[in-house]
Amino acid sequence: MDKILRVNMTDRTARFEELPDEDQHKAGRWLTSSLVAREVPPSCHPLGPKNKLVISPGLVSGTAAPTSSRLSVGAKSPLTGTIKESNAGTPFSPKLARLGIRAIVIEGQPKDPGTFWTLRIGLDKATFEPADRHTGKPLSEVYPALFETYGDPGRVAILSIGTAGEHRLAAAGVCFNDLEGRPSRYSGRGGLGAVFGSKGLKFIIVDDTGAPDVPIKSTAAFDAGRKKLASALTSHDITKPKGALNTYGTAVLVNIINEAGGLPTRNFRTGRFEGATRIAGEAIFAANKDRTGSELYNHACSPTCIIRCSNTLHRPDGSEHTSCLEYESDWALGANCGIDDLDAIGELNRLCNDYGLDTIETGGALAVAMDGGLAPFGDAGRAIELIHEIGRATPLGRILGSGAVATGKAFGVTRVPAVKGQNMPAYEPRAIKGIGMTYAIGTMGADHTSGYTIAPEILGVSGKADPLDPNKVDMARAFQYATAFIDSTGHCLFIAFAILDIASGFEGVVEECNGVLGTDWTMDDVPRIGEEIINTERAFNRAAGFTSAHDRLPDFMRTEPLPPHNAVWDIPDEDLDRVLG
Amino acid sequence: MSADNPPIEVHLYGKLRRFAEERDPTSNSIVRLRVTANETIGGVLDRIGIPREELGANVFLNGQYSDLSRPVAPGDRLGVFPDDMQLLYKWYFAKRTDR
Repeated sequence: MDKILRVNMTDRTARFEELPDEDQHKAGRWLTSSLVAREVPPSCHPLGPKNKLVISPGLVSGTAAPTSSRLSVGAKSPLTGTIKESNAGTPFSPKLARLGIRAIVIEGQPKDPGTFWTLRIGLDKATFEPADRHTGKPLSEVYPALFETYGDPGRVAILSIGTAGEHRLAAAGVCFNDLEGRPSRYSGRGGLGAVFGSKGLKFIIVDDTGAPDVPIKSTAAFDAGRKKLASALTSHDITKPKGALNTYGTAVLVNIINEAGGLPTRNFRTGRFEGATRIAGEAIFAANKDRTGSELYNHACSPTCIIRCSNTLHRPDGSEHTSCLEYESDWALGANCGIDDLDAIGELNRLCNDYGLDTIETGGALAVAMDGGLAPFGDAGRAIELIHEIGRATPLGRILGSGAVATGKAFGVTRVPAVKGQNMPAYEPRAIKGIGMTYAIGTMGADHTSGYTIAPEILGVSGKADPLDPNKVDMARAFQYATAFIDSTGHCLFIAFAILDIASGFEGVVEECNGVLGTDWTMDDVPRIGEEIINTERAFNRAAGFTSAHDRLPDFMRTEPLPPHNAVWDIPDEDLDRVLG
Repeated sequence: MSADNPPIEVHLYGKLRRFAEERDPTSNSIVRLRVTANETIGGVLDRIGIPREELGANVFLNGQYSDLSRPVAPGDRLGVFPDDMQLLYKWYFAKRTDR
């Protein structure tokens, strides 16, 4: 029987509770959003004592299901004021699942702010230790010391915040280790690191020594399902070994989105970056080959992953500089700031990982500040100095570390590419209208992962005279729901590339869930579950004061044409409002 | 003549860069050629000598996701990615076939 570990930071107690009957089939985003909606007052201050953090491994995390080690972290977001779920691939997820912990709920707040604690979790036990000797330090120094103290990365996994989280900055992410122990896997978005900081919780160390395997109610259903999924993943061009993700990483998208005219450049002023080829996945692959003397294919960030898209960037002397340099990070710290020096971008990425920062929000804030005249676009040296200011929490660093919207206010900038307070990621909505719809209607602010994206031309919107075809609105809605479902299984969203093309792969995911839970779900349950999740999140947001007026892109996108397409954002508001109703 | 019929630029990526003079993966590998009336993207790629089996679906004409049957015109920019370099959810863009 799975449990909830309830942690109270006011009196530093931790106790195991039975998982309520209504939550027996929930995990991942489904469970984090359900518990946040049930237990957190929507009007509370995100950094106050009433907010709660919920951490949950997905439904099939900890099993042999392929690419299944995602972990969801949820709370009310200090960046957006909405409900938030941000997930990461990390060994932390299967370890928690094997300990039978479906969720950790962290509540309360210490009476003496400024002290930080470590929560140690083992089989049927949870204890606290002071963490103050590790505060104020870069995570690349802290993690090796923690593994030295608590056991190697095979035995323990680490959740932590960096100095950005200690200072409760809204761009602070939550960091996890990868398989090699690097502090490199992030639940980055929405400032959840600041919520940990507000609770005085610096680390969670999970040790699954002695834990049994995750129980599986129907081995036949589970095995049939995971084989179908594995077959889809290993045969699809995008997810197969030495396919696009394994060879070039997500940064392969730099050149592709640049060709599409949708690579936001210099704070969303244009959709093409003249330096794109110098920072793209191909450039990373070539630099690594040149510098290490061999072709370097990407690695798995977490157990069971067979897509293996996580990359490394190596210095000219061959030593490892940073991991992982994702498309979003490469873009945010590169093209969006007008920086085309791959090694400088690598350094900016390394510093974000060291200070515990969301690379997207940080790059977005830097670009807005550059637009406001703080530094010239393309000035990598100044960008590096500014990230150090965030890490040290100087007054200027605190402004930048509070995200793009706060930075825009501080510098009087009107070109702030954010929705519900969160900076857009690496797809220009004026060029890629479908992603703009996702940014607008998503429950968590501008987020490329919150819902599967469809071009409005395919949906039949975008200024056509015909009213929206109800069947197509249904399709857009169904894809939103499918995303929420996948985020609850523990599978990486990248399985969507394969399973939306290969139907048996998606059936396999449902069968895996049935195997673990003993349910008899069919494909019809996918939209049912997804709808429940999104309705729960929207109800929380409504109670927190959000209306359809917040489901909009920033004003400048309606009036400033974006080269090279010279397009403006022209999706009618009423069309946006019809997707989720 | 060239003012009336400027060449198109074909930007090649990944293993397709071998069809351009500049093959450095951090550079722009561009083939410039003049197109004839009613020539399609597929026709241009055949003329360059790119085997169809090395092509992915990520083909962009002037930044628009395009089918190989789409006609090209003087001055166009064509971006072409190989089969091992495509990373788009298939619904991101409607595929254009028209001029």
